Parts: sequence; structure tokens; C-alpha cells
Amino acid sequence: MQEKPNIILISADSLRANHLGCYQYPLPTSPNIDRLACQGVLCENMFAPGIPTQPSHTTIFTGQHPVTHGVVAHGGKAKLGRGTPYLPEILLEEGYTTCAVDTLFRERIWFGRGYEYIIDPSLHHVFYASVTQEELNDRAIHWIKTVPKGPFFLFIHYWDVHYPYVPPERMRGLFYDGGNPTDPDNHALDQWWDHPIGAMARDTWLHTSNGPITDPKYVTALYDREIRYLDEGIAALEATLEQMGMAENTMIVLLADHGESMTDHRICYDHYGLYDCTVRVPTIVRWPAGKLRAGSRLAPFRQLSDVAPTLLDAAGCMVPEEMEGQSFLSQLQGQEEPSGYDRVIGLESTWQAKYYLRNSRYKFILARQPDLLGNPDRELYDLTADPEEEHNLAAEQPQLAASMEAELEAWLADKLQALGKSKDPVKEEGAVAVSIWLGHR
Amino acid sequence: MEQKPRKETSEDLVVPEPPATPPEDPTPVMRPEDEALVAERLRELGYIE
Repeated sequence: MQEKPNIILISADSLRANHLGCYQYPLPTSPNIDRLACQGVLCENMFAPGIPTQPSHTTIFTGQHPVTHGVVAHGGKAKLGRGTPYLPEILLEEGYTTCAVDTLFRERIWFGRGYEYIIDPSLHHVFYASVTQEELNDRAIHWIKTVPKGPFFLFIHYWDVHYPYVPPERMRGLFYDGGNPTDPDNHALDQWWDHPIGAMARDTWLHTSNGPITDPKYVTALYDREIRYLDEGIAALEATLEQMGMAENTMIVLLADHGESMTDHRICYDHYGLYDCTVRVPTIVRWPAGKLRAGSRLAPFRQLSDVAPTLLDAAGCMVPEEMEGQSFLSQLQGQEEPSGYDRVIGLESTWQAKYYLRNSRYKFILARQPDLLGNPDRELYDLTADPEEEHNLAAEQPQLAASMEAELEAWLADKLQALGKSKDPVKEEGAVAVSIWLGHR
Repeated sequence: MEQKPRKETSEDLVVPEPPATPPEDPTPVMRPEDEALVAERLRELGYIE
């Protein structure tokens, strides 16, 4: 058997952790992902330090916080510096054959760095994110079977769970317990139609011959069907590895760049707002030959910036000093007691311009500019008493809010000083998508 | 913090088969013109270069 493991990094865009069975979702959306979790290790508290897709994936590949790599917004002005360490480039230099079955390089050029092979079946679609897991798997499985002669790194980025939620016809009927999806008297989604993404949804994938879908329970069922469809794809990928005799020494990491709001916090079927439904992401690692503690769950806080260092560690590569994340491989293997961060600080600069600081009990959210929903600039939640983050305590506990704000600002000031930067990147970019939408840039 | 024992997963749950003729399930589809409109809107918002 080759010494270095094969590595398959799976990013399921917009996959909300608590819509998976292994994260306690009550509906059977994910039997195969759940099995993967039972065979590997599940991270209960993995956080995205930057959302949505572009900042988060940049963090995954660079092992850096968004304040460091500078890509804080989706569609922002910042470009990733050429000297920033990048996971596929390092693995390529270390003798790995690298392949991306992915479309991200169509959004930003740096997502193509370090790949000897880039396979993009979305070219068959008008809209690239309409590419399905079957189309991606078809190419990925063919590549696994025919190309690598030594250790390989394969990145697969699935769009199925990202909007538009258009599951295959055979999923029809799943996860919806009745009602009228197009009831014209149901106004639960009316506010969404005022948002450009909502208006787009109403006019396209939520359009039916009976009028637009109006029942959010039905939209959630569509989302869950997409998870079930993705889950089938994960099973197909695993079956290929078994068939090829590769399962033992292939490390599979399944994660999401961010979650999805459903209708929480008045944010409809999107991925902004720094609440746990969006910033706490699923992460599962399976690697039989790596002697992971199969079936265990790691509770300490981790960040997506830890992923690249962990994969490099598994591959026997040096982790560049510029990567800020920490490998937790020895914890996955049970060689070290689980530990993690006391706090996570993250941000968004796309539909909102905000920071969050989360510790084991509280989350503090600080806005750099007013949001479209009219939320207060400061939000404080007690995650123990209020895990859904519905009761803002900022006014009731001003001292705690002020203390967490000071902690956040001190962290940012120190970070910027260490980087030799003078400007807060979230202030600088603002809420990029809002600015574009309103014609301000 | 200690590692916790695995909790119940959906492996233990019964997986429903889709009903043959589901009532009131319009199951959306993306027509090519829908895809074009989505791509155009997202390009306008800076999502796509």
C-alpha cells in the first residue's frame, strides 16, 4: 500500500449541519453520510470564520482567517495574494496528483491554483450551479479509476444543496407532510420576494403552473430532498473506493463552507447572518488506515482554517507557518485529548457587514453598517439558554456586550497590526451585494 | 473536553419511500430560461465574473 493517503475533500455548499441525521435531524435525509460519520470522526463544533462561499473556501484552502487572506466578501474587490499558501499547490509539490471537479474557478481565479486536472461538467449548463452530484460524480469516479498512479488529492464541490433547490423527480413526495405548496393565501414568504435572491427564486425555480410556491415547509422539503440526493452521491463515491480497493487508505473529509438559514432570523433560504445555522458547519473525517477513533465526536471548537493543516499533516507534509489553522489529526486519531479554541471570531461582508465572537456560552454580533432587516447593530445571545439565538440580550446585559465587543475589537486591532494593515476589511468592503444591488458600486 | 459516545443517527430511522402519486407536490424544474435568468441576476450581484 502507498504510504501517503489519498485525500478526497468534499465540500457540500450550503449544507446545514442540523439537517443531517448525524447532527440530530429527525428526518432521514442522510443515511449514507450518517454511516460515514459512524465510520469516522464527526466535529460537533466546526465554525466558518468567514461566509459565504468565496471567503469560506479561501479559508479552507489557505488555512487562514479571512482578515488575513483578505477575501472577506463574496464578489468583493479583494484578490488572494499569489504568495499565500494554498493546499492543492502544496500537495502537488509533495508528489500528489491533484484534481478539482468543481466550478469555483469560474467565480474567482485562485480556486484553480494547484490543480493538475480541473474538470467542470457545469459547462453543459447555462447556470453552473445547476450541475448535479451525478454529473460531478460521473467525472470524479472516471478520474479516480483511470488517472492517479500515486497518491491523489481530489476536491469535489457539490452545488445540489445550494439554491435553486431542484431535486430530481424521483424524490417527489419526500419530507412534505401535506398542505398546499402554492396556497395564494399563504404569505409566509412575502418578505422574501422583496430581496433580489427571493424575487429571482419566485420568478424561476419556485414558479409553477399554479403560481409560485408559497409554503416555506415545502421549500424546506425541497432542500431536504437535495440533501438526500447528495447523500446518494456520497454513497456512490464510497462504493467506487471500495471497488477500487482504495477505501482503506483514502481520507475522506466531508464539510460545508456554510449552512443555510431556512427561514430563521427572517433570512429566507440563504446563507448570511452570523447565526449558528449558517456559521456552524458539518465536518466528518473518515480514514480507516489513519486509525481514526471511528464513531467518535469531537466537541471542542474548531475552525475551517484547521482543515488544510490537518490534511497536510495526514499527508506527512510540513504545514507552512503562514497557515494560521492548527492540525487536529492527533485528536482525530485519539492520540491526544480533544481540545480546541476558547472562542471563534468570524465575519461576513456580502449581504451584511458584521463580525461575530462566539465562545462556549455566548455569541456577540457587531454590525459595521445597518443591515436590510433592521436588526440592531449589537446582538448578544446566550447559546445555552437560547440555542436558536432568538432573544437578543444586548440591552439587558450591556456590560457583557461591551466586554465581548472590546474583546472582538482588540483581536481585530492586533490582527491588523500584525498583518501591517490599517483598514478593517469589513468596513472597507461593506455589504458588497447590497451596494451592488442598490447601485452604489 | 471529552469525546462523547455516538448519539442516535438517522441510520436507525425508517427511510420512507416516495408515494406513487403524491398529492399537491408541484416539484419545481429549472427551465433553460430560468437558468439564464438566475445566472444573469447573480452576475449583476457580482457573484459571477
